[in-house]
Amino acid sequence: MKIRYWGVRGSFAMCGKEFLRYGGNTTSVELVTAAGARLLVDLGTGATEYAKTLMAGEFGQGKGTLTVLLSHTHLDHIQGLPFFTPFFIKGNQFRILGADPAGSSLKGTLQNQLAPHYSPLNGLENLAAGVSIESFLPGSELTIDEFEVTTAAVPHGTMWTTGFRIKADDRVVTFLSDVEYPAPHRPTREAFALAAGADLLVHDAMHDDAAYAMARGWGHSPVSAGVHLAGAAGVGKLVLFHHSPDATDAQIDKLVEAAQARTSIPVSAAAEGAYHEV
Amino acid sequence: MPGRATVRYGGQTSCVEVRTSAGTTVIVDAGTGLRALGQKLARDSGGAARRHHILLSHVHWDHIQGLPFFEPAYSSGNTVEVYALLTAADELQQVIGGITRHEFFPVPLEAIPAEINFHEVDPGVVMTIEDVTILPFALNHPFGAVGYRLDADGTSVAYVSDTAPFTDVLHKQHFLSGPEPLSDEDRRVLAEMRGALVAAVRGCDTVIYDTHFLPEEYARFPHYGHSTPDQALEIVAGNDVRRLILYHHAPSHTDDQMDEIAARYKEQGAAVGVDVITACEGMSLAVGPRGPA
Repeated sequence: MKIRYWGVRGSFAMCGKEFLRYGGNTTSVELVTAAGARLLVDLGTGATEYAKTLMAGEFGQGKGTLTVLLSHTHLDHIQGLPFFTPFFIKGNQFRILGADPAGSSLKGTLQNQLAPHYSPLNGLENLAAGVSIESFLPGSELTIDEFEVTTAAVPHGTMWTTGFRIKADDRVVTFLSDVEYPAPHRPTREAFALAAGADLLVHDAMHDDAAYAMARGWGHSPVSAGVHLAGAAGVGKLVLFHHSPDATDAQIDKLVEAAQARTSIPVSAAAEGAYHEV
Repeated sequence: MPGRATVRYGGQTSCVEVRTSAGTTVIVDAGTGLRALGQKLARDSGGAARRHHILLSHVHWDHIQGLPFFEPAYSSGNTVEVYALLTAADELQQVIGGITRHEFFPVPLEAIPAEINFHEVDPGVVMTIEDVTILPFALNHPFGAVGYRLDADGTSVAYVSDTAPFTDVLHKQHFLSGPEPLSDEDRRVLAEMRGALVAAVRGCDTVIYDTHFLPEEYARFPHYGHSTPDQALEIVAGNDVRRLILYHHAPSHTDDQMDEIAARYKEQGAAVGVDVITACEGMSLAVGPRGPA
């Protein structure tokens, strides 16, 4: 299985030369199996870059199919949806899978994103492709082509998001973006179970440990939370993800260095633009 | 549009700061550019309570998504006055506040510490903010948009974004999958809208205009609600406008393409007596002979 980060940034897309190496797009991650099955996690602005490569292939002719998992519907995880060009081509088939936000529905939320005052698309019904929006309960096991996906609710400030454990080609990737545990060294049981023995842990690392003191309760992790979970859960590699909009390339380099100094597990920071073997 | 291709012109969505010599700041549009502007305004205030004014052309995402990240909104004592056209909804608070619903954003409008007030704008009805006189006028964009002429310091700047030209498509309150045939009534409405726009920008020192498309791109997407530099020049040329700013660049246009566009329209503008400048982020321009430097 290969992984490619199309968007690595949390909260807000960042432009400019300080953000070129790691990238400034908001979250979107692609997984590809050896046999070519694809799965996309989240539809941040990075998904619009992914869309360009899809359009060069069968999606450009209306013959593509793809499943998208959503961790949650905060804007930085869905803002690529109205600009995801394969949605505009008749014949393409999509499934968008996610949990219902508290007190609301996944479909209703995405419909509201495309409400006439916000978007000229004026509703999901005007997407020319077939787009099926399906809610699951966190805790469900999903089988998507060759991917076996375990889902679980993880805490995110006053709410929660869905974490994923994705297995394919006998490899496991755990995706825990937008998560904040009761304390950085106390991951929830569900988060631990998702990460246990994973080959690759992609973890929220929005704050450096010093800045976290100011940001407690906002729903994001300090770098040390991922480092701790990686060690406790015995993962193969740790990837810092959901970079702060304020973190320049040079600052992210330092975060990686500081994290690596505290663990023997290989640590890197998610960077846009290349496929990596898991 | 993050990445290498937008480093020079910038990749943020719409946001312009207008500042008078007396120090009044009026912000036009609240796209992603608003985040950095908010940080600057918060720094400049030195912690003193301030009243901020934000004029919205319309509430499509690229014009409002910076609002939840506007730093001054997170200091109690500050006030944020938001002005917008009401379309397809009962009240502005419901539409603009709707972007901070818990499904979309972690902090709901009610929990934002600053006082936030919403003001409906009415095309043709003049408003005053401190020493700035503001004329809103209707634009041709899906579900409606407004442009603004701002007069202060004895000079004028107009913000004309987003708009389609007034020839091929009349945008109304429904989804367009392509251009629809124009009725006589549609043509009359378009002519009236164009007339009000031409009158509003007449004599402006500087006009900032939606020039999203090149002519060949516009020909493919005339129903998207955006214009070309040629169409902008057609509105301002011979209308006593000194300077035209190309604005609302297409996400697909790279810095290199923008260089070509800038050079091509500099020349075309000069031929009709208009100084054409292509907007890039961080650019600061003095408006008019008596404007601030």
